[in-house]
Amino acid sequence: MSYLRVVALIFTKDFKEELRRKENVLSALLFAFLSLVLFAFALDPTRVDLNQTGSGLLWLIVLFAGSLFMGASFRKEMENGTLQALLLTPTDRSAIFLGKFLVNLVFLLFLEALLLFFAFLLLNFRPGPALGPLALSWIAVTVGYAALGTLFSALIANVHGGQVIYPILLFPVLIPLFIAAATLTQDALAGTLTLGSQWLRLVALFDTLFVTASLFLFEYAVEE
Amino acid sequence: MDLRAWNRLLWGLAVVLNAVALYMVFFYAPVEIQMGAVQKIFYYHVPSASSAYVLLFLAFVFSILYLWREDPTYDLLAYTTAEVGFVFLTIVLVTGPVWGRSAWGKWWVWEPRLTSALILWLMYSAYFLLRLFSRHEARSARVAAVVAIIAFFDVPIVHKAIEWWGSVVHPKKVVLEPPMLRTFFVSMVAVFALAAALTLTRYMVGKAEERHLTGGEVAP
Repeated sequence: MSYLRVVALIFTKDFKEELRRKENVLSALLFAFLSLVLFAFALDPTRVDLNQTGSGLLWLIVLFAGSLFMGASFRKEMENGTLQALLLTPTDRSAIFLGKFLVNLVFLLFLEALLLFFAFLLLNFRPGPALGPLALSWIAVTVGYAALGTLFSALIANVHGGQVIYPILLFPVLIPLFIAAATLTQDALAGTLTLGSQWLRLVALFDTLFVTASLFLFEYAVEE
Repeated sequence: MDLRAWNRLLWGLAVVLNAVALYMVFFYAPVEIQMGAVQKIFYYHVPSASSAYVLLFLAFVFSILYLWREDPTYDLLAYTTAEVGFVFLTIVLVTGPVWGRSAWGKWWVWEPRLTSALILWLMYSAYFLLRLFSRHEARSARVAAVVAIIAFFDVPIVHKAIEWWGSVVHPKKVVLEPPMLRTFFVSMVAVFALAAALTLTRYMVGKAEERHLTGGEVAP
């Protein structure tokens, strides 16, 4: 079986599984929506403007809800006893990583789109012409987030109490990406985001570095 | 020379050097005009930071060696250097605000070097938490090694991001009077000797624990 075929098969398998099981998808989406509602109460939406300084808060929701979803990426394989079978796939292990990474990436982008929509509806979030730059920067940031999220999910799959450690382990590493995400969102909304932005370059570096590192390290993360 | 002899030698060195360093800090180095006596914390703050970074770099190297060679000794070395490095990083984060209070007038400023140290501290807290949670698991060492490697690659990016994000910076160039410079040099060597002694002792404790767990014979 060719490498890409394995990636595609794992992607399809996981994608279908998530849609049929529903619990991971729904809990993450509901959690994100709930957080948005809670923000409205915490912040007084008439005074905090999501179009300006509050925009970083949206990323906080993506971070928390996303980790809820991605943390289960490998844990569910452990619970079902299917991790061993998955690891027996006769190809390079990184194909498994790529398949899972793509599922997480697609889901996160979906969650972000929904989040922005509800922010528009409930919290007077008005990106307007900034939507293009906003989408570009959010996609760029999500790639790095999904890569490390998937790798760390594999790391803690076997660890007793892994759910608890997962965000504690993941978030400190994501801090530079998070700073970039918050700043990029603000710049995009202010209309000052250009392709030459230093923050975009930082995100590109982060993405390249950690997608590559994850492809290499994944082998060690799952090996028995 | 066996490890025990080395250990005694290192501790002897560390005690003598630190006694000399402390004497110089309090009685030889002049009091800084603007910051006053609090500036003297610098003689232990900066060497602690250097030791922490050297040790955490070693933890990164030993983690790679462990993944490559699968020798448990490398895992113990990675754990040992990470642990002692973490202690020194904590010292940096405690002494930083004390000094910052007199230098900047605030306990904490979101300054690149101090904030990077804090984030590194958070990463390594998670690292030890992970080792604590997975201690009964065979893959524990490998999982920890992967985290240490990722953390290492992240540090320069963290630093760059915070530099762009924040505004306050450490003084780029510190001008020191010759007596200050001499004191600084001695305290640097003293703190490194202490770090080395602590690391070696921790390593020997780890080895002893290993022997105890595997029921092996006790070294002479």
